[in-house]
Amino acid sequence: MRSPADPWPAHPRPLAATARDHARVARESFHFVNSRIGASLLVWLLIGIALALPAGLYLLDRNVAGTMERWEGRAGLSVYFEPGADVRAARSMAARLQAKAEAQTVWVVTPEEALREFQGQSGLSDALDLLSDNPLPASVRISLADGVSAAARARLVAELGSQDAVEEVVVETAWLERLAAIGAVVERLGWMLAGFFGLGATLVTVASVRLAIEARLEELKVQKLVGATDAFARRPFLYLGVIYGAGGGVLAAVLNAATGVALEAPLGRLFEGYGRDLEWSGLDHIFASGLVAVGAALGVCGAMIASRQRLRGLDPV
Amino acid sequence: MGSVAFRNVTKRFANGHEALKDVTVEVDEGTMAFLRGHSGAGKTTFLKLLLGIEAPTRGQVLVNGVDIGKLPRRRLPRYRQHLGVVFQDPHLLMQRSVFENVALPLQVTGMGERDIGRRVRPALERVGLLAKAAHLPVFLSAGELQRVGIARAVVNRPRVLLADEPTGNLDPHLSREVMRLFLDFRRVGTTVIVASHDQGLVESLGMRIIELDHGRLTRDHA
Repeated sequence: MRSPADPWPAHPRPLAATARDHARVARESFHFVNSRIGASLLVWLLIGIALALPAGLYLLDRNVAGTMERWEGRAGLSVYFEPGADVRAARSMAARLQAKAEAQTVWVVTPEEALREFQGQSGLSDALDLLSDNPLPASVRISLADGVSAAARARLVAELGSQDAVEEVVVETAWLERLAAIGAVVERLGWMLAGFFGLGATLVTVASVRLAIEARLEELKVQKLVGATDAFARRPFLYLGVIYGAGGGVLAAVLNAATGVALEAPLGRLFEGYGRDLEWSGLDHIFASGLVAVGAALGVCGAMIASRQRLRGLDPV
Repeated sequence: MGSVAFRNVTKRFANGHEALKDVTVEVDEGTMAFLRGHSGAGKTTFLKLLLGIEAPTRGQVLVNGVDIGKLPRRRLPRYRQHLGVVFQDPHLLMQRSVFENVALPLQVTGMGERDIGRRVRPALERVGLLAKAAHLPVFLSAGELQRVGIARAVVNRPRVLLADEPTGNLDPHLSREVMRLFLDFRRVGTTVIVASHDQGLVESLGMRIIELDHGRLTRDHA
């Protein structure tokens, strides 16, 4: 560092001293936040809410999408024949379908089996016993192979629907596709909100750090007078940004956890209505840590913007 | 090395006011000089040019042969770490103790705590305030505050010490005490430049006087 031409050599800067200085600055920043706890809580709340909404949407999307992914492996079709149609037609169709790559498993449900299934599920066995004839048709159930595209499935549905004696072909995943479309909207909305609210959280930090800088302007001018670099002068405000951002992240995690608890039961009932169990993973440690880290990163960005703006043109006393 | 030289320095501000007009002066290493002049004579601008807060419109401001006016902004902090500055208002940090105020110039260099203690205590002892190291500035008298400011200015063992009206708030007795401290620093090789309009005090010390009037150098004699 020192050269013969350097009339003002750098002072030696031991690593331990630098670490101690960081510790001192961090302590002072905590003290600063603590001494203005009312204003600090407000900042945490603003950042927390700004982070909670996109994070909550992401969490919702992740849970719903995760549940849907597990169902897609069991996506299938049901081909219902006309009442009174010969069950041999169903068996013949099943035999043809076995040879198709789109079909993973194929089985025939005879009218008798369909009736037993219906009696078991509906609880109307006594009423059904009163019927002289079995009104239910034979059907063929197809479990589709993995990776079958929506187009391939549509072609298969059209082909099966055009067969003689076929009354209806039901795609079991139709409602799931609608849900997936809604999920895609939620995901896109989440990313957009993450951008907007992330910017909002950064601006909140910029404003808060700017106020902190104004409160310590005299001190900064003295520091500059005695040779403080911009990095030295900026350091407390970067710590302040971390504290504000990370605190906001913690609050966002708490809000998301609370929202998760509040939503789990009604969502579970919604999915139950479709005969499915919602596997809600909620807010895990990794996601919560990520939220705190994102908050801290946004806080640092905000503090960097505020301190660069204000310190650049600041002259010593 | 602590030589200071102004070569044909003119400083004109944006509003057209010329604070210094073609000033040429040299102050050798380890000497003490007073800048004298009425309010608005250009004394403070002279010191601001030396601090690198202002750049000359024309001419050169040289410290140790380096043109401060052309020093890149990023190099100014390290340059200032080798200066000592005292103002009429000592600009102390009121939430920090006397010790912490004096330690500040060392802290910004990244010096370790033990070394800071080794430097701060003798500096406070020199200005007679070691016993009040833990006090907050609010509990000190005007003279004591000024002495804390002086201790802060010399704790980094500067080669050049600049003072702007350091006795402006002090009674004659304290003023002489402060000047005696400056003379002590000159004896250890520090170049001392003091701006003052206190004619009686300046002349009583028998030091070199550089007189400015409306930005022009009007007198320079030992």
